[in-house]
Amino acid sequence: MSPSPAIEVRDLSKRFGDVEAVRGVSFTVKEGEIFGFLGPNGAGKTTTIKMLCTLLAPTSGVLELAGFDVTKNPEDVRRSIGVIFQDPSLDDRLTAEENLELHAVVYGVPRAERRARLDEALAFVELSDRKKDLVRTFSGGMKRRLEIARGLVHRPRVLFLDEPTTGLDPQTRKATWEVLRGLRDQSGMTLFLTTHYMDEAENCDRIAVIDHGRIVAEDSPEALKRAVGKDVVFVRTNEPAALCALLAERYGLTPDRTEEGLCFRVEDGEAFVVQLVSEARVAVTGIAVRRPTLDDVFLALTGRQIRNGNGEAGRAAMRAMARRR
Amino acid sequence: MRAEVVYHLARRDVVKFLRDRQNLVATLVRPLLWILAVGFGLRRAFDTGATGVDFVSFLVPGVATMAVLFSSMFSAISIVWDREFGFLKELLVAPVPRTTLVLAKMISASVTALVEVSVVLLVSPLLGARIDPLGALVAIPVLVAFGMSVSALGIAVASRMKTFEGFGGIVNFLIQPVFFFSGALYPLDGLPPALAAVVRLNPMSYAVDATRGLCVGVHHFPIALDAGVVLATLGVFGTLAVRSFARMQA
Repeated sequence: MSPSPAIEVRDLSKRFGDVEAVRGVSFTVKEGEIFGFLGPNGAGKTTTIKMLCTLLAPTSGVLELAGFDVTKNPEDVRRSIGVIFQDPSLDDRLTAEENLELHAVVYGVPRAERRARLDEALAFVELSDRKKDLVRTFSGGMKRRLEIARGLVHRPRVLFLDEPTTGLDPQTRKATWEVLRGLRDQSGMTLFLTTHYMDEAENCDRIAVIDHGRIVAEDSPEALKRAVGKDVVFVRTNEPAALCALLAERYGLTPDRTEEGLCFRVEDGEAFVVQLVSEARVAVTGIAVRRPTLDDVFLALTGRQIRNGNGEAGRAAMRAMARRR
Repeated sequence: MRAEVVYHLARRDVVKFLRDRQNLVATLVRPLLWILAVGFGLRRAFDTGATGVDFVSFLVPGVATMAVLFSSMFSAISIVWDREFGFLKELLVAPVPRTTLVLAKMISASVTALVEVSVVLLVSPLLGARIDPLGALVAIPVLVAFGMSVSALGIAVASRMKTFEGFGGIVNFLIQPVFFFSGALYPLDGLPPALAAVVRLNPMSYAVDATRGLCVGVHHFPIALDAGVVLATLGVFGTLAVRSFARMQA
């Protein structure tokens, strides 16, 4: 028997009245992968994750998780997954330990193992010394870590994280990612996460970009960036005119003059620079090669920057607000 | 359904109830205020001599049932609270039948109500009420069943409500007539026909009647009928609660 994929989605749709939030989405997540689900606000990310977690019934399509049909066997699915929601979902009037213990009982962790699992999960997120404290006394980052710990207590096959780092400061975001990577490396757990931080999406093995309820791209971050853009090269020189002429003649490039020097785009930036430096008879004083970022990928795929997700409509609303002031 | 899950879910509510000291004191003192102010204040105005007991003793079972009504109904607000603060999602993705969640909530509601009832029944003799201790013990299961049915109704309402204000509005609208038209404060013999008809339709009247019959020996309906109505109410509201809760989405 070949192992079933962690997640299998075929032709998934969800309609709320007249609004089609998810339109025929298909993708597969392999066991042990960190799979990123990217898209601007309102693209259908949270709706999809809710359907995968059995919280929302799909309008049509096939949804399988760890080999179980999500609509037919919701309880088997619930036992196989852990969910870390976008908004906090702890009982902040209980202690950290009490939150985890209730979770362990509800998910059927055998009594004999409970103590060890709780201590292990708390140690993993470095909250062992705060286990007797009420959650309401915790900072935002600590709450997030505790939620991750809670998601691990029943050792799910797939861990869902809906925007796990939204609203956290950069340092805490970084720490959260270290926890997540450590988790995948140590336990081989499959992680399915949504984010709108492009720099974080780089941490994923594969990414699906969703826009207007459809998947517009699905690949590794590297492959997506290769597909979309060439490297950006900046060259500084004391004789810009001569270098410009050389680049135009020899390589057919038309560089822009920027404050950081001459700027142009080529296929393989590093190899090109090596060749250029060995051939050029012009003194080069500085070189920088920048890879296309996932921001560039996203822009190319959806025509929008992800942060100000609403594009034209958003800007129109901003202008309207500015006028009212 | 695993009993351990029900126990831990119910314990969560009870632990929080006991942990919130200010609320705990207020909750326990409120019924005693009723006995002191209404019982002693109105004793001379209310002639319950015909029933064979003084007004304070007559009132204690009514106040005990009232405490169950208020406390069980408002315990369902924790569902709205859990929704507001996100914990409800954690419960809804858990591999546990919805019925388990509802049952646990009903049990925790009746346990917290029982804490209040115990205080009323233990303190009121010190205030001069004459209560039959054995009868009071027998009345406890009736009050538990009544508390569970009230919390079931509260769960049904809370499952449909998104805000505290919404829940508070509906619950106050329900709770006032149920309390005032129940005989908690007055004997049911010789009421005007219209009022008597309303009282007969009110399930709480039967819970009060049974409790009073068992604690002080005065009742209007046969106790078996009282118990039957309370159990039937539990069945109807329990079913309603499970259905409403099952349809709820996070």
